[in-house]
This record gives sequence, structure tokens and C-alpha cells, in this order.
Amino acid sequence: MSSVPIEYYLVVAAVLFITGAIGFLLRRNLLILLMSIELMLNAVNLTLVAYNRIHPLNHNGQIFTFFVIAVAAAEASVGLAIVLAFYRVRRTMRSDEADLLRS
Amino acid sequence: MNLDPFLAASPLLVVALGGCLLMVAEAFSKHGREENDSRSAGPSGDLALGTAITLITGAIFSAGIWFVGPDKLEGSRALEPYLILDRFSLFFSFVLCVGGALSALLAGGYLPEHKLDRGEFYPLLIFSTLGAMMLAAAGDLLSLFLGLETMSLGVYALAGFRRASPRSTEAALKYFLLGSFAAAILLYGGALIYGATGHTDLAGIRAAITSTAATEGAANPAVLLIGVALVIVGLAFKVSAVPFHMWTPDAYEGAPTPATTFMAVAVKSAAFATLLRVLVEAFGDPALTSWASGWPPLLAFMALLTMTVANLIAGRQESVKRMLAYSSIAHAGYVLVGLVATIKVGGDAQASIMFYLLAYTASTVGAFGALILCGSRGAEAVSYEDLSGLGRRHPAAAMAFSFFLLSLAGTPPTAGFFSKFYIIKAALGAEHYVLVVVLVLNSVLSAYYYLRVLVFMYMREPAPGAPLARPMRSGYVTTALVLSAVLVLVLGVFPSTYLEIVAQAALASR
Repeated sequence: MSSVPIEYYLVVAAVLFITGAIGFLLRRNLLILLMSIELMLNAVNLTLVAYNRIHPLNHNGQIFTFFVIAVAAAEASVGLAIVLAFYRVRRTMRSDEADLLRS
Repeated sequence: MNLDPFLAASPLLVVALGGCLLMVAEAFSKHGREENDSRSAGPSGDLALGTAITLITGAIFSAGIWFVGPDKLEGSRALEPYLILDRFSLFFSFVLCVGGALSALLAGGYLPEHKLDRGEFYPLLIFSTLGAMMLAAAGDLLSLFLGLETMSLGVYALAGFRRASPRSTEAALKYFLLGSFAAAILLYGGALIYGATGHTDLAGIRAAITSTAATEGAANPAVLLIGVALVIVGLAFKVSAVPFHMWTPDAYEGAPTPATTFMAVAVKSAAFATLLRVLVEAFGDPALTSWASGWPPLLAFMALLTMTVANLIAGRQESVKRMLAYSSIAHAGYVLVGLVATIKVGGDAQASIMFYLLAYTASTVGAFGALILCGSRGAEAVSYEDLSGLGRRHPAAAMAFSFFLLSLAGTPPTAGFFSKFYIIKAALGAEHYVLVVVLVLNSVLSAYYYLRVLVFMYMREPAPGAPLARPMRSGYVTTALVLSAVLVLVLGVFPSTYLEIVAQAALASR
């Protein structure tokens, strides 16, 4: 049985990761920033699971992925709470309007 | 049943259990009600004391196991590779518990004074400390990531603790965004390393790198090198090394001062502990530590940038809190110099880093604590002007502040002097002369902005009609200041005894 070569998964993951990183650096909407971070974490998950195929002796990569998913959920909840607190005080969702703290 | 594994992990267990108990106690206490907002009735008093006691118990357990010797406990290796409970971890457990306990005491004075008296602060602080301890003990990328996130999630919430304040929420927002971005970068690096080596535990990564280097010559696969670089970048965010420091001044300035203290002290020490462990245990292979194709030049470059940029910007600040934030970045630069030196002189350099981090913890808690002491009733001392004439009006507060600033500047006979001295000694031993010269020049530069505070306190009078900062009265803050002052003095007066002790904690570079 032929299967998809592992490089394909890795390239997709790398593209996802870079998309997330560029989105994080360029976009200004806070929710999109949160989504970019999630995209990067999912790219990590894809990489880990793909690599697990060439290291079949144990399931470290897949176990790691479960932990990443769980922690990403916790992180998103804290992140949304902080974004909400920010929105309540400042009435804006744009990250470039977070400019009170300057040197 | 063999209880040794539990005993070996007892510092972590004590802190975790204490955190759970305090959380329940907080939930059932009658203080949490909204209508109960008179100053004396807040929950801070008991919780601050409980937190401090829990964390100090953790520190005592760490010290106790240290003196018994972790290798004497039969099951101390039972949790490897996830948690490595050696002297290195015990040392950092001690430092982190002390830092956390002192921050909790500062919070006990600060929160009621500034109408922030909500009990969540303390469980968050304890669990963050627990995460930091896990991070320092982590011997696997998985537990490293879990520790990092346990620590960070708590600290994000602490930074935004003053929910109604635009500055505090902005600080939390910036810290959260850049912190999780850094965590994602670190994770991707970890995933690539896993792909290249097939291992997530540090010892296994090291072994795999060594064996590929032996079979295929010195060349490392590109995937591995990218992974190593990404992991180092992710950790550099956490220790706030330039050019990954952008979040630090904002997060430190906007967060409530006890949270800032905790970030400056515990988060930074834990991040350095894990950076040291990862570099020595996983990336310590000669194939990765050569100057031509390894991480040392990257780290040396960051050290140079961190020291110089942070000190130059710190001198231009008008806010003392922000100046202290930049000063903590500069101190990270000094520690990075020690980290570069670990390749050549190993144990000595590691001991100097550990010495530095405890001395830095004591001095920084003292400096932020003195800043807390100088403000009261919703009026915090922030700018240099707020402090003018303090030496005449409130000599005790001014004296405490001066003492800790002198330690940060590195004046003998304080801890700050010897910590810098040992770092310089290690770097000289490793023949990194450029780094040493830059470090010394930067120390001179840093004296300018530390002494500027003293000039304002002792030689300026406040402008007529300007609002005066009046120091608060709080037993908690005073206790924290006294404890850190004792620590600073002891480290400064008996440095060599203490250095011999920490030298036992150095990781063996296998």
C-alpha cells in the first residue's frame, strides 16, 4: 500500500506555521492574532504526528500532540479573557491602539 | 510501599497541595463578597501569610533534600526523564520558592493599599511558582512545555490583575500575545528536534546528536539546526534577551508591582534554569557548541546586545518602574555572558549563574518592594519626581531603596558585587575578553541610572505643590524587605562559602 510521503505533511505544516507567524506579525485585530497563534500550534501538532511516523518505536509525538491541544485550549481561554478585559476598558479590538505604555 | 519518590518530589508536592488548599480556603472565606470593601476586611492578610508559609515550606523541603542528598533517595530518579530531581532542580526550587514567597508578602501589603484586594492573586502566584519549579526540573520537552505554560498562564492573569485599568490590561495583553507566540516558536523547534532525533527527552536528544555526528561527520542536519535555533529563540523571549525583549518594559510597567516582582524574579530564574539545562544537557554536544557552527556565537551576540541596548534605554526612562524593567533586561544580559562561558569552564560558570540568580532575586525583590513601600492609598510612586526629597521625609524607606539599588548596581559589600565578579571571573576563564569588557562598561553605565534615584531621593526637593508620595505602613512589605536585605548582605559578606555550596548543583556535562 502506498501512502502519502511524510515530506508532504511537513511542508503543509511549515506553510501553516509561517502563515500563522506572518499573520501574527502583520495583522492588527486581536482575535486574528489569537487565531494566528492557534494556527501555529496546529502546525506544530501536524509536524509532531507526521514525524511520529518515521519514529514508530514509541508514540511520543502523538502524546505530545494531545498535551499541546489541551494546553492550547487553556491558553485560548486565558487569552480571550484578557482580550475581553482589554475591550471592556478600551472599547477597541486593534492591537496598535494598545499604546499607553511607551518609553 | 516506597515513599522515596514522593519525598524526592516533595518540594513540588508541598507547593501544589498548598495552592489547592489556599484556593479552597479563598473560595470559602467570607471576604470575597462584593459589599465587603473596607480596607481592613480584605482576604489579603491571611492569604499572603498562607502563601508565604507554603512557599517557604517548599524552600525548606528543597534545602532539606539538598542536605540529605537527592542521590541518597532511592526513588529520586523514578520521575525521569520528565522531572529530574537533582541538586540543580533543588537549588532552583529554593530560589523560586523564595522569590514567590517574597512577592506574596509584597502583595499582602500592596493589594489592600491599592484597592485590589481579591484573593485570586495568591493561588495564581502559587501555581505559577509550581510551574516555574517544574520548568526548572524538566528533563523532557513535554514537561518543559507544560511547566512553561503552567507558569505563564498564571502570570498573564497576574499581569492583568487590575482589570479596570487600561494600563494593566494592556500589559497583560502584550505579555500574553508575545508569550504565546514565543511558546509556539519553542514548540515548533521542539517538534523539529523530535523529527531529527526521534527523542523528546533531553538526554536522548543529546545521545542522538552525538551518534549522528559520529557517523556522518560534524555536519548537523538542517532540520536539527533550525529546531535548536527556534528553541533558543523561544527561551530567549522568556528571559527577555534583546532583540526579543519588546514586551518586557510594557508588561513590567503596567502590571501591579507585586506581579512585576514575580515576573522579574521567578519567571526569569526559571527560564534561565531551563535554558541552562537545555543547552548543557541536550545541545551540549561538541558538534553544536563549536564557534563555527553552533549556538555560542548566537548567544554571545544576544548577550552583547542585551546588556548594551537595555542599559542605554534604561538611562533615558522617566519612570522608576520602567527603569527597573530595563535594568532586569540588562541583568539577563550579564547572565547570558555566564551562559556563553559554560561551554569552556563548565561548572564554574554554572555556579556563577546560580549565584547571580539568587543575588538578583534578593536585590530585585528589594528594589521593587522599596518602590511599593514608597507609595500608598492608590498613589503609587512611579516617576523620579515622586521620590524627590524622600531621604529627608522618610529616611528608612529611602535607605532601603538605596541599599537594594546599590546591590543591583554591583557595589561591594552587597550580593550584586560578587555575583558580577564571579560571572566576570568565569568569562575570563573562558577567554571571552570582549564580553567581559562590554560587561564592565555596562556596569559603569548602569550606575548612572541607579544613582540617579539616589540623587533624587537625597539631593532634590519636590516642586512646591507637587503631590507627595507617602510611604505605606505594612508589616508584610517590611518583612519582605528585611528578608531580602538579610539575603543580600549574607551573600555579599560570605560569597565564597555560598559559591562552594552552589557549585555542587552544577550539571555534569556528559
